[in-house]
Amino acid sequence: MISISPNALANGSDSSLAKTLDLNNLTPEQVALDINNLNLFYGEKQALNNISMSIPKGQVTAFIGPSGCGKSTLLRCINRMNDLVDNCHISGEINLHGSNIYNKHVDVADLRRKVGMVFQRPNPFPKTIYENVVYGLRITGENNRRKLDEAVEKSLKSAALWNEVKDRLHESALGLSGGQQQRLVIARAIAIQPEVLLLDEPTSALDPISTLTIEELINDLKKQFTVVIVTHNMQQAARVSDQTAFMYMGDLIEYNDTNTLFTTPLKKKTEDYITGRYG
Amino acid sequence: MDNLHIGRHISGQFNEDLERVINNVMHMGGLVEKQLTDALAAVGQSDVELAKQVLSNDYQVNAYEVSIDDECTRVIAKRQPAAGDLRLIMAVVKTIADLERIGDDAEKIARVALESFSSSQQDLLVNLDNLGRHVLEFLQASLDAFTRMDCEAAVKIHQMDNKINREYEALMRQLMTYMMEDPRSIPQVMTVIWSARALERIGDRCQNICEYIIYFVKGKVVRHTSAEDIKKL
Repeated sequence: MISISPNALANGSDSSLAKTLDLNNLTPEQVALDINNLNLFYGEKQALNNISMSIPKGQVTAFIGPSGCGKSTLLRCINRMNDLVDNCHISGEINLHGSNIYNKHVDVADLRRKVGMVFQRPNPFPKTIYENVVYGLRITGENNRRKLDEAVEKSLKSAALWNEVKDRLHESALGLSGGQQQRLVIARAIAIQPEVLLLDEPTSALDPISTLTIEELINDLKKQFTVVIVTHNMQQAARVSDQTAFMYMGDLIEYNDTNTLFTTPLKKKTEDYITGRYG
Repeated sequence: MDNLHIGRHISGQFNEDLERVINNVMHMGGLVEKQLTDALAAVGQSDVELAKQVLSNDYQVNAYEVSIDDECTRVIAKRQPAAGDLRLIMAVVKTIADLERIGDDAEKIARVALESFSSSQQDLLVNLDNLGRHVLEFLQASLDAFTRMDCEAAVKIHQMDNKINREYEALMRQLMTYMMEDPRSIPQVMTVIWSARALERIGDRCQNICEYIIYFVKGKVVRHTSAEDIKKL
């Protein structure tokens, strides 16, 4: 039943019945990732300008913005994928559980176990479905057959793929459709139980039905993981995310709960972008 | 229409869709305004022909409502409007529902002209004429504010409804006296009461339209909000 206080509408302000987080006043327990004054340079060119934001735990946060605005760059900072790029310099910090992932003593492989990533194109290994899912666990030294079997079933179920592949776990993963491959890659990412899952345009190479399946999956995944998604599809951001950050030319223009951002954005630049106007 | 920034979409077709919707709302508003003007004139001049014309034209208002509704549904399905565009479509859908009702109310008022009033009862109609003029002004001001999406004007004219409500109450008291003094006049007085009621309802609907304008411009819901709080926005 909807309960609404008599003066909920009285001040003409927020009449929303949905409960939303106050992104500026999150308690430490609510925060999964805390980004502070993050600057990133590719050589001389600055790609991220002083980004500060808190990404709440157990929620889906979407980054939107035009090509080259820095949204993928920011996403890749969260598991230090940019370390692999030559000439890339980063200042500022990203705190995962209060400790900066850019500290010198942080083990990057360990960080990436905690912060999994899924890319635009499905990239299963040329192995069986089963071996794809347990790949991460095998690297960590897990060889107990029973545990691996359990992990495969659990991950594939979480990735909404189990029913489709349970009878052919030992066939090649390359025989799956694009949508299935992408869900397999998500299963592989969650098999090692990360805390944060980064999705870089996970559905841009998929058909609309597979896209909806993945979106449904994202909604289920947030019960276990913090999900950060980069998407070119604004409607997708509106559908799947709890918070949306709009970026433009390396700046974080507006970061707000998704309902507000898509109905009453505060900044004109955001409005122009999401309504498809030129500035 | 400057406030709408409709013409700045990257998609020219989207611009055209929204422009068509807005133009149709304006045409519908103009038609409803004419219906009310004619209905009041028919009552004031006991012009039966004009009253019949109002009754027969109501279908046009209804047709506009259906067709604009249809267009809005198509825009939502095809363009997935967001932010200001979404609020515009929502404001339009609600505005045309109120305009259609205003059309129905104008029809009710026109029916008064079909009744026969003795010369001693003509006074009743004079009072109705006063209320009618103020309501018509309110409707014109609301449609004007809608055309320009002028939030300041909407906030200002939103208050006109209070004046109309006071006039309506005064008229009711007067009509009550008539009925007590001369029970034979009750059927005619009842007719006048119904149309006074229709005018009062039109005032409420104009107020709603002002609220939709404020919603579109400010993104704030001001329904069920006091006048002081609306002014603070």
